[in-house]
Amino acid sequence: MAIIEVKDLVKTYKIMEKKEGLIGYFKNLIKPKYREFDAIKGINFSIEEGELVGYIGENGAGKSTTIKILTGLLTPTSGSVSVNGIIPNKNRIENNKNIGAVFGQKTQLWWDLPVIESFSLIKKMYKIPENEYRKNLKRFTEILDLGELLEKQVKNLSLGQKMRCEIAATFLHNPKIVYLDEPTIGLDVFVKENIRKFIKDINKEKKTTVILTTHDLRDIEDVCNRIILLDKGQIIYDGDKQKFKDSYGKYVIAELIIKDKKKDIVLNDAEILEQFENKLKIKFRHDETTIVKIMDEISKFCNIEDIHMKEEELEDILKEIYKGAHKC
Amino acid sequence: MRILDNISLYFSLLKISLKEILIYRIDCIVGIISQLVVQLVSLIFIFVVFENTENIAGWNFQQILLLFGVTRIPIGIAGYCFDALYDIGPKYIRNGDFDKILLRPVHPLLSIIGDSRQFVSIADFFIGLAITIYMLIQLSIPITALLIIKIIFFSIIGALIVGAINTIFSISSFWTYRSNEVIWSFYRMYTFTEYPITIYNKFIRILITIILPFAFVSYYPTMAYLGLNNYIVYLSPIIAIILWIIAVKLWDLALNKYRSTGN
Repeated sequence: MAIIEVKDLVKTYKIMEKKEGLIGYFKNLIKPKYREFDAIKGINFSIEEGELVGYIGENGAGKSTTIKILTGLLTPTSGSVSVNGIIPNKNRIENNKNIGAVFGQKTQLWWDLPVIESFSLIKKMYKIPENEYRKNLKRFTEILDLGELLEKQVKNLSLGQKMRCEIAATFLHNPKIVYLDEPTIGLDVFVKENIRKFIKDINKEKKTTVILTTHDLRDIEDVCNRIILLDKGQIIYDGDKQKFKDSYGKYVIAELIIKDKKKDIVLNDAEILEQFENKLKIKFRHDETTIVKIMDEISKFCNIEDIHMKEEELEDILKEIYKGAHKC
Repeated sequence: MRILDNISLYFSLLKISLKEILIYRIDCIVGIISQLVVQLVSLIFIFVVFENTENIAGWNFQQILLLFGVTRIPIGIAGYCFDALYDIGPKYIRNGDFDKILLRPVHPLLSIIGDSRQFVSIADFFIGLAITIYMLIQLSIPITALLIIKIIFFSIIGALIVGAINTIFSISSFWTYRSNEVIWSFYRMYTFTEYPITIYNKFIRILITIILPFAFVSYYPTMAYLGLNNYIVYLSPIIAIILWIIAVKLWDLALNKYRSTGN
């Protein structure tokens, strides 16, 4: 059985309609008018134990709402959610024992205390057995390089240091499922890599299921093997990451070094992104034309010295999707 | 077993809050001094009243001061232990830290109450203790082991009654960020119990004995210590338990409502 099961999930918010001006304010006060807004419009998915899922979408697509429902912070308007056999909004505290969560910059550590004291409070709260706690602490300290940080007060840590401690705190009680909402926001590249490695290692060792929400698609590229793509409260893609890239990454980007340009280059089957005296950057669909044909065309305008091609990255594909270039 | 676990967790959190006080030494000292000034003003007021009258509803100067002292002890404990209830609206919910509390595997009320650290209340507590002891001597009431046990017991019960009342009004946090003011305005009614309740009209008497039973925080215990009425005070543990059951049930109901509307 799947560890997370979401069926026909709908969440509707009531939003107060704001009226303009002072008179509007009074009208609101006396008789507020509400408008309904569907944040999630009937989504279905199931996640197996040990999966690393990238849950992505634009701002306002409904990602956070889904995570909040899965963690029991919100109750669904309709539909059902089951996490590890528990209905989170009915048995929230029971569900909390099996899960861990990181929400962006919010820390679950005690601000004025040394990190290690927060850890031992968490140990007490989750009733983590002593040997389990020692083992995890040792392992996490090793991967996340926490050695010197443990005795420092949380308020004295840098953003990256804090997030490393935060991640360790989240995994300390061996949660079956971990929700990571923007865990790498604002971090430098080394810390990001460190955190990604940690997630992958722990997933391998403990079969922890991870649901990752992020705007840094390199996180997804590096960590996840499955993507759920959300748009305006609906799932528009759910499946393997590589397949996603293969089926939607129809564009190829090529950079050419050229010389002896006679006049401005105009191409029929490719879009020109940049053109200079000795450099040209183009984009084309590999199912419509080939690089040989395009080079043929370009050679009418100039001589080609060198060529460098790359496939579209996840980020480029998503941009296209959001713009409406692809239909999922 | 679950209750024992929760109590042990609560004391771990309390220990942490004491550690944090030591970190903010200066803040702590300034807070305590200002609290001393506030209490001094109340005391001066009692002195002024007794320059004009011999007794209040049959209570003499020393008895009134004893009542004042006995009030401060549970108020001091409650002020320290339940302070974070004031923060639910303006801090936890407003900053989004409330989500973090809801993700813990313990009841959110325990987490929040455990975060309390209102160190100025320590001043309240010690002023109360000092005045109580001094007035017991002045009134030549023998300080027996039994009396000490009674004072400790009824002070804790009194603090729990105040805590439960604060918890009930903290429910307003789910509707307004300014819930601290809602709690504060009802909490301040404890000042009624700094004087014998017989001076009030029927409405206030019913209010502070039945509806918001602040009279059990210090008035009835003081009656017992003075030997004026020994029995009614034993209702206070029952009242504390009932109040807490009502508080937690209402709080859970409000939380469920809050989770369904979204934030």
